[in-house]
Amino acid sequence: MAIVVAAPLAAKGDPLPTLPPYAGAYQPQGMDERGLWMMVDEDERLLRDSKAVVSDPKLQSYLHDVVCRAVGAPRCDSVRIYVVRNAAFNASMAPNGMLVVQTGLLLRVRNEAELAAVLGHEFAHFELRHSLVGFKQKRSATDVMAWAGVAAAGAYTYGGTGAYNTVRTAQSVQNAAFGSIFAFSREQERQADLLSMAYLKASSYDPRCFADLWGRVMDEADATARGRRQRSTRYDRVAFFATHPATLERATYLRELAIAMDKSGEDGRARLDAAMVAWRPQLLADQIKLNDFEGTDYLLGELAGAQWTADLLFARGELYRSRGNPRDLVSAAGFYRAALEQEPSNADAYRGLGLAQMRSRDPAAADSLRRYLAMKPNAVDSAMISTLIQ
Amino acid sequence: MKRTSFSIFAAALLLHAAPGLASNTLIPSGVPVAVAKSPLTVTPDREWNKMGARPGRNSETWTIDGDGLNDVTFYGGIETGRTLFREVSKKAKPLPHFSATMLLTDLPTLFADSYSIALDTQLMTIDSVEPTAFLGQKGIRFAFTFSRLNEEVRRKGEAVAAIVDGKLYMITFEAPDVFYFQRDQPAYRAIVTAATIAR
Repeated sequence: MAIVVAAPLAAKGDPLPTLPPYAGAYQPQGMDERGLWMMVDEDERLLRDSKAVVSDPKLQSYLHDVVCRAVGAPRCDSVRIYVVRNAAFNASMAPNGMLVVQTGLLLRVRNEAELAAVLGHEFAHFELRHSLVGFKQKRSATDVMAWAGVAAAGAYTYGGTGAYNTVRTAQSVQNAAFGSIFAFSREQERQADLLSMAYLKASSYDPRCFADLWGRVMDEADATARGRRQRSTRYDRVAFFATHPATLERATYLRELAIAMDKSGEDGRARLDAAMVAWRPQLLADQIKLNDFEGTDYLLGELAGAQWTADLLFARGELYRSRGNPRDLVSAAGFYRAALEQEPSNADAYRGLGLAQMRSRDPAAADSLRRYLAMKPNAVDSAMISTLIQ
Repeated sequence: MKRTSFSIFAAALLLHAAPGLASNTLIPSGVPVAVAKSPLTVTPDREWNKMGARPGRNSETWTIDGDGLNDVTFYGGIETGRTLFREVSKKAKPLPHFSATMLLTDLPTLFADSYSIALDTQLMTIDSVEPTAFLGQKGIRFAFTFSRLNEEVRRKGEAVAAIVDGKLYMITFEAPDVFYFQRDQPAYRAIVTAATIAR
């Protein structure tokens, strides 16, 4: 397989490429690339107006800053960022510089360095113009088949989603912008990994974070499979990995590269937490709706680390209450109580506590629900809750 | 699957279930009719079309102008351990199950989560929840808003539900916010008001 664009490899001994020279306002060259860009431009116009796109200028500007800190200015200025409400872990970048970040990614990164690593990886595909290579290969292999595929999926993004995602959303205009028909070659993925590590090396971040995130997301996929009594495939449940050949080998070489760099750096956790504070309750609620008990429980545990904060305890209560086995309801009540210890003003925790108690036929339910109503008299379900305790 | 028209499913329907689609039947006005292969009986105050394709085992969908424009769906006795409607992808995104131990307040959540998983959208909200009497029981009425992933139409809906002898009975209505929802809501409410259950 011919790789047209190869990362310029540095002297032997240093596996990381040097950063390619950057020229601002890159314009597509040649018929293939111009055609590709034209189509993606149209996708971007559709995506921009989509209801699924989160409209939050502060969050957008924060993410832009992260890209800039990751890959450096003025490289980052060519990127437009779209945050899409989708609880799955993914990010993708189109050949024209449209970066799609799913909220599922934002929920899962534990610090800014991890986020920067993923965004850097996507940016690397963009900078190396990988989709053009794939596009040309497909076209020269068999024009008719390639164009049929192109017409069906109408999507030309990097990163991309898994086979089932692509099939599922093949006719989805909204999703066309971030579905993918391009499975990158292993070699391209490796190049993007190496270049993103090179960005990290030049940045202020700790380069070890990439492998950390990798490991956690694979373990979450395992937990999901376990909960659904499926054999773990480790990768294909996670959209990001479905097109990224994420073998253990890969997590291992990323870690080795990071160790070889012998560079420490910041993790930027405080900045990420501050940027996400307004969104986290919503993203946790979106995650709980996925009906993925084991995977979500694993995720919450990983987010908590050594310290269960009130929002995570509340989310865990909601998760256990939604599964609703008698033992889950007892656990849920415990989580709500623990959340209330940290945050006594959390009316919704009283609601969850009362409903869990009521489903367990605990007479203390009425008291908890009365407290909820007293704290939130105008709640949308206040009349309904009132009738429950009569 | 019903109007949840996941593109794959719609395509499958067109290919394989054309006879099913063709077997839509006219429901006359003012005549009591048993729905969803269940003891649930309703008397509509206008003509409706019963869709040949059922969302699941114990359910059926009626429409006036066509699937997706104004849909009333009857859920006639969903049992513990069952999903609201047919699984979309049991392996990759299984739907939540109903349980007889659920409280009435758990039903809007069950409904919204099922829709949100089946339609692949996080854009589904429950706008209001209130107590109501349904089928001679304590029931719950809730309103919701959603958009399917692959389109930008804002859809609104309303539902009433009750648990009778451990089974879930529910009648839902959904239509595009523009024009159809307001126009057809009274016809839906007439169906709900006149609904009875043979016991």
